[in-house]
Amino acid sequence: MSVRTSVRLIAVSALVALAAACAPSTNSEGGGDTASGDKTKLTVWSWRTEDVAAYRKIFSIYEKDHPGTTVEFKPFKNTEYNTILATGLTEAGGPDVAQLRSYGGLQPLIEAGNLVPLDGTAGLSDFEPSALEGAKGRTDGKVYGVPFATQTLQVFYNKKIFADNGITVPMTWSQLTAAADKLQEAGITPFATTGKETWMLPILHDTFAAPRYGGADFAKAVQSGQKNFTDADYVASIDVVKSLEKYFPKDVAGVAYTDAQVLFTTDKAAMYPGGSFELGFFQAQAPDLDLGVFSAPPPDGSPVDHALVPGYTDGSYGINTKSKHQKAAKELVTWMATQQFGQLVADELKQISTVPGVAPKDPLLAEMASNYAQNPTPYLLLVDFRYGDPSGTDLLGAGVQSMLLGKSDPQQVAASLQKGVSQWFKPKA
Amino acid sequence: MTTADLSRVHDVARSAPRPDNSPGQSQKPARDRVAPIAIGLLLWGYAAVALGPLLLMLVGSLRESRDIFDDPLGLPTSLDVSNYRTVWADASFSTFFLNSVIVTVSAVALGTVVSLLAAYPLGRYQFRGAGLLSAYFIAGMMLPIRLGIVPIFYLLASLGLVDSRFGLVLVYAASGIPFSVFVLSAFYRGLPAELEEAARIDGASEFRIFRTVMLPLVRPAIATVVLFQLVPLWNDFFFPLVLLRSTEKATIPIGLTQFFGQFQTDWAVLFAGLVVATVPLVLLFLVATKQIIAGLTAGMGK
Amino acid sequence: MVQAQGLTTAAAPRSTGGRGAGNRATAPRWPLVVAFVAPAFLLYTGFIVYPLASALQYSFFEWRGTARGAFTGFDNFTKLVTTYPLNHELWRAFLHNGVFFIGTMLIQNTAGLAFAIWLQKRRGKRFLQTAFTMPYLVSPLVVGYLWSLILSPTFGPLNAALRAVGLDSLALPWLGDPQTALPVVILVNAWQWVGFPMLLFAAALAGIPEEYGEAATVDGASGWQRFRHITLPLLAPAISIVSVLTFIGNFNVFGLVFAMGTSEGGPAGSTDVLELLFYRTAFESHGDLNAIGRSSALAVVMFVFIFGVSLAANRALRRREARLT
Repeated sequence: MSVRTSVRLIAVSALVALAAACAPSTNSEGGGDTASGDKTKLTVWSWRTEDVAAYRKIFSIYEKDHPGTTVEFKPFKNTEYNTILATGLTEAGGPDVAQLRSYGGLQPLIEAGNLVPLDGTAGLSDFEPSALEGAKGRTDGKVYGVPFATQTLQVFYNKKIFADNGITVPMTWSQLTAAADKLQEAGITPFATTGKETWMLPILHDTFAAPRYGGADFAKAVQSGQKNFTDADYVASIDVVKSLEKYFPKDVAGVAYTDAQVLFTTDKAAMYPGGSFELGFFQAQAPDLDLGVFSAPPPDGSPVDHALVPGYTDGSYGINTKSKHQKAAKELVTWMATQQFGQLVADELKQISTVPGVAPKDPLLAEMASNYAQNPTPYLLLVDFRYGDPSGTDLLGAGVQSMLLGKSDPQQVAASLQKGVSQWFKPKA
Repeated sequence: MTTADLSRVHDVARSAPRPDNSPGQSQKPARDRVAPIAIGLLLWGYAAVALGPLLLMLVGSLRESRDIFDDPLGLPTSLDVSNYRTVWADASFSTFFLNSVIVTVSAVALGTVVSLLAAYPLGRYQFRGAGLLSAYFIAGMMLPIRLGIVPIFYLLASLGLVDSRFGLVLVYAASGIPFSVFVLSAFYRGLPAELEEAARIDGASEFRIFRTVMLPLVRPAIATVVLFQLVPLWNDFFFPLVLLRSTEKATIPIGLTQFFGQFQTDWAVLFAGLVVATVPLVLLFLVATKQIIAGLTAGMGK
Repeated sequence: MVQAQGLTTAAAPRSTGGRGAGNRATAPRWPLVVAFVAPAFLLYTGFIVYPLASALQYSFFEWRGTARGAFTGFDNFTKLVTTYPLNHELWRAFLHNGVFFIGTMLIQNTAGLAFAIWLQKRRGKRFLQTAFTMPYLVSPLVVGYLWSLILSPTFGPLNAALRAVGLDSLALPWLGDPQTALPVVILVNAWQWVGFPMLLFAAALAGIPEEYGEAATVDGASGWQRFRHITLPLLAPAISIVSVLTFIGNFNVFGLVFAMGTSEGGPAGSTDVLELLFYRTAFESHGDLNAIGRSSALAVVMFVFIFGVSLAANRALRRREARLT
């Protein structure tokens, strides 16, 4: 103890000395909290570096209606955002309003007391309960963020390639595989997908195989403990991915996420199983691409007889407990629950807004939204199985990759998933 | 590892008698004449391997992404610098560049100066605890400081040094101390005692001896410690990402990570960004190769 | 210049004595030692040792986000080796670091030594040294991205080139196959770092007098015999330094593996190493409230391991050196 205390003493005195010696160069602190003139300046943090221009536009509209406030949008690198936010919320100079991860990703911030509960915020009660689920504290059930977008998982396709090969949008599983066979014969990769970046693999699985395990019904059965992931239907759903492997790019485990996107945007692949979050990117990257979208038909043997479209709440906006501008921050977050903001999210960010009653102008996005609205099912592993470590998405991602490499079979993947999550997941009996 | 290691290199070199000024003319057997040609081919072949990917990056930066996807090995059809224009226009690379220079140069300067001072008594004096103190410094070489990022963040936060270039400089300077002290103290130890003693008899103060006698003699080693601090710091993206906030304070690697998010599939633009980030170090190295190699040679072989 | 002259003549008789100890005769006054050492000591203690000591302290607590909870003793440590799949990943990462170290010693450091020997007195030495060292200047992250692009099975120029010359069977998925991924990463790492051992060995070689080799040649020793019995023993100290630095550096491999195999160390964990595992535990575990506690425990395990092995290795190498010389 005494050694540590003295070490700390020495360290602290050293730091004080150093800091004092160089004081003049350190006077640029806490930019986020300072009020410029009589205006309140709100800082908003986000992981969406690609949305800077759109958010500037959105917030300039807000500033026009709220002359006393300026809003600065500050995005950070996606992969390090969690660390930056978790540390940033603990000290001065952090954000006033922050974009928050959903479901399990939000819990550490809530538990550490970094966020202000938003229950009772005007407009929030009109949101779909399933949308709010992604912004709630697991232990206290309070809402800590205003959800800004719903993501849905479907299949993008290249209309021109389909037309050239005489293929129509598949309505049944056999039509889907027939189309894939036909494309393969024509020398076109049927599905562009990554096998390298494991976070995409549970998305791939749910895009095609959610109906095979039964979607929301299965989710309920797992929650109540009637079923678990070693259930025959769930194993069969993993097998669906395996059965599609021959239609993926060669050596799929070495294909990076961006490689897969490029294969699709450069007409080298006909279909791309992915999320609505990729639509804006495709449209910007390949404006000439004649893009279509459909929800995957149910695989043979599915317990349901229609397509199921997985979806989840992407994230939300919440208020930093330490913000010095609580009132202005609340006002901004309240605005984010209005139709005006929802419409801007839909049209400027090309995302499906969670605000009820907002319809996107973009026809494709509107189609994706309506596909989801007709047959919604939760993206199970993200929605329910990210509340502990190891997370369901990590386990299935690793499992599917090893299956694509021929190192394990669907039973083993399912068993690993079950073994991993059962360490922290206890069904509500 | 102990400081003894490096000094042993000196000993090995020194314990042998020095050759005369005229190196002996060696007579090589005839069969030894084929081998040099094969070795030469191998060396020049490897030079192509070493430089090839860097050239590929340079060539790619002058092409269009679509061309790269269609023909990964092709040459640019025309001298197209539009990718570079994108880099300069979209990312504030001039700001990043300046920040990188400020942060890296200050950190390396601070780290080197304090190490030069600390290594001196460790290498030259005998005092109780000298071995322990050396070990304490050198132990730092074995600690991957990235593992301490969370406590470092809280430390800087408690000092009000988050989002401050000065805070980053302190962390960086500290991170270079173990290796610098290691190299420099071994180097001091290898220097002869006589000059110092002569100066001491003349009544010079210890600090004066350090400044006028010792410092000029360790100059070659300084190039080495500077290089080995400079390169990793210039390229580090992890600490600024967590410790800095403002775009106007960001360094080049941060600019690069934002850039990667923005242009993820535009290989040509990415290549241009990578070239811009790398060129300054390459230029510096080309200018300073002679000093760096001389410094290493002096430090290791002497 | 006057100094240098005095140095060579005066130093010669003394410096043949062991380890330069003769040079360290002075017993200093304490305030002086303190004045010289204090700035580095304080900076290093404050910004390196203190934070890492804090990590040790963190590892004994349960965390809820960034809020510290109850003292839990060794709970975080036992969880490291009992939680599935973390326990598998931990051993796997240790194993891969071991393979990485051995591979780097065999490939990078052997090549560095060979280059250093072959480049002695060769025309174009400066150019070749510069060329071989050039990749060191590029950020490991950039090197990783660059090689991922080169090795990409879809658009990569390497496989395109192999196919162009009819070597289709050699156009492997490289980073997409667990069999080849780790060797490829080790090779790329060696590509980046080979200049480092090369320069160190070149410097050490410059200190070996030529007469040794010549005398042996007169005695009829072959090139290999000269190398094995004269050069190699004299290089032993340099080899020790390079080995220990390689071992330590091996645990700092991050950017390269991150860029080539994602943070998962893919495919199928075949390139997963300890530093990546730490990164995932600390920064990527979705919804793990205790990420700080768990990752701090992992950091402590890594410190202890690196430290212990470095010390043991250093001792062993020194004993071997003594035998060789």
